[in-house]
Amino acid sequence: MDVLFVKYLSRRILSAVLLIVLVITINFFIIHLAPGDPATIMTGLENPSPQIIEALKRKYGLDKPLVVQYLKYMTNLLRGDLGFSYVYDQPSWKLIGPRVFPTLSITVTASILAFALGTYLAVLASRLRRKFGDLFLSLISYILYAMPSFWLGLILILVFASKLKWFPTSGMFDMRASYEGFRKVLDYLHHLFLPVFTLLLIQLPVFYRVTRASIVQNLREDYVTVLSAVGISNDRLFKKYVMKNSIIPAVTIFGITLGFSITGAALIEIVFAWPGMGRLLLDAVFRRDYQLLLSIYFLMAVFISVAMIVTDIVIAILDPRVRLL
Amino acid sequence: MRFRTDFAKRYLSSRYGLAGLIMFLAMLIMALFAPVIAPYKPTDISHDMLSPPSKVHPFGTDHLGRDVFSRVVYGARVSLTVGFVAAGLSALIGIVIGALSGYIGGVFDEVISKIIDSFLMFPVFFLILIIVAVFGRNLVYIMLVIGLTTWPSNARIMRAQTMSIKEKAFVKIARANGESPMRIIFTHIIPNGMYPVVANSAMQIGGAILTEAALSFLGLGDPSVVSWGKMINDARSYMSFAWWSIVFPGIFTVITVVTFSFIGDGLQQALYPKLSEVRNE
Repeated sequence: MDVLFVKYLSRRILSAVLLIVLVITINFFIIHLAPGDPATIMTGLENPSPQIIEALKRKYGLDKPLVVQYLKYMTNLLRGDLGFSYVYDQPSWKLIGPRVFPTLSITVTASILAFALGTYLAVLASRLRRKFGDLFLSLISYILYAMPSFWLGLILILVFASKLKWFPTSGMFDMRASYEGFRKVLDYLHHLFLPVFTLLLIQLPVFYRVTRASIVQNLREDYVTVLSAVGISNDRLFKKYVMKNSIIPAVTIFGITLGFSITGAALIEIVFAWPGMGRLLLDAVFRRDYQLLLSIYFLMAVFISVAMIVTDIVIAILDPRVRLL
Repeated sequence: MRFRTDFAKRYLSSRYGLAGLIMFLAMLIMALFAPVIAPYKPTDISHDMLSPPSKVHPFGTDHLGRDVFSRVVYGARVSLTVGFVAAGLSALIGIVIGALSGYIGGVFDEVISKIIDSFLMFPVFFLILIIVAVFGRNLVYIMLVIGLTTWPSNARIMRAQTMSIKEKAFVKIARANGESPMRIIFTHIIPNGMYPVVANSAMQIGGAILTEAALSFLGLGDPSVVSWGKMINDARSYMSFAWWSIVFPGIFTVITVVTFSFIGDGLQQALYPKLSEVRNE
């Protein structure tokens, strides 16, 4: 560990902490500026009696000034208390916990596949430069980039689930059959396929384009000219030097995608009725479960920050120059 | 003037730029002349429910017997409006904040840069979602919120532009002549440095259209307008026996967003001809 690296890393950690504080502060104030009194919403009644509202406000500290509530919220977070959902009458982590794995199984799988396939296709396309294949791939990447994820999901359901019946239309397990052991895993994978495929197609163009542009840029660098002048074969030059340098932007994107992965598939989860974090988040929005929303946003910010720091470390290892920045 | 003709020539010489412009004009005509092009009113209901594409209904009808083609044509109005207003607002805020931050520098610049970085790392869609859910489902709000949350990428571009322009001779001369910083920013720096922001804005138009579609799909769109996202949401429950009701609004969304990506790429190539020589052409 050299000094530069430590300095670089500590700066990144500082901005990660700032991000978390900024995100939860913005969200806290947006939510509390919202029209409609949380205590009234909590009762679920059109015209609740003032006594009920009083009691609820006292119970949850909503009668205190906003700044006091904010400070209380922050100190609770520091103590590891994520918050409490009024609507479900349960601590937030109890609601969030069971949702984490289903969501990550979609998002992480799709991101890894998109990273691998996207960079592979970009390398392939750069070898086909100015040929039909390159143009075709680039056109496909434009179209996928413009695709609303929810619509793509619905179309895939229409074709592969409703018409061809290759995959189930929704859910995580077959509710009619109660499989155990290995069969259960297979059933899970069967249900997992379409949502992962949808997200893969949505994420693919980002990896493809970034790597493609980076390869093109790298091929114009001086070191390429020098090395090919020295007599290294194009093939070796490409595999040994250009590839390694060109993949760095895709690694950054991969880190960002992983950061977003905790809620990244919200719309796709809705389409496939997948019981994940995204669904929980959207339900919380519609039910005005503001405390639960704050907890999810906090978790999202932490996830993004950690992914960012890890990405920075990986990048610094791959490309030592960035430590000097 | 020379710069402008050169710019236009370079733009039109890029394959994607030209295609994007033609597609955009077609889209614009469709939106402007919607009452002439659409054979029915988008809200007209009839007994002819869920009928497949035919001569009378080129894209079929939906569950209330409304003509899908007419609704798609009118939907272009909403998408284009949202795209332009949201991206325009985002460009305006981004340009002003980016120029101020880059020109003033110091602590102000550092604070602004941190805010920009944080915004760029956070998935803004969820911020937009929560604001629209909390403050109301209204097209004006939706456009404002998208504009107010997507300016940081423009600000970052404008900031970099400002940093390089403020070292140029004509800015130094203006400063030596005693022109006020505000005057320098608005008459020298912004007019000379905003072009890359414009290219980015073309991409942001597409992004805003997708955001509105997603909000409408979630039932958070403006209930009083016909939008493609809402059509998709309506069609969800009966799509397995009326594919046309869900396929066409989606295809038009994709075409529109692709159009603005093409335009954005054309602008990029016209701005940085050297860079794009080897890029996709």
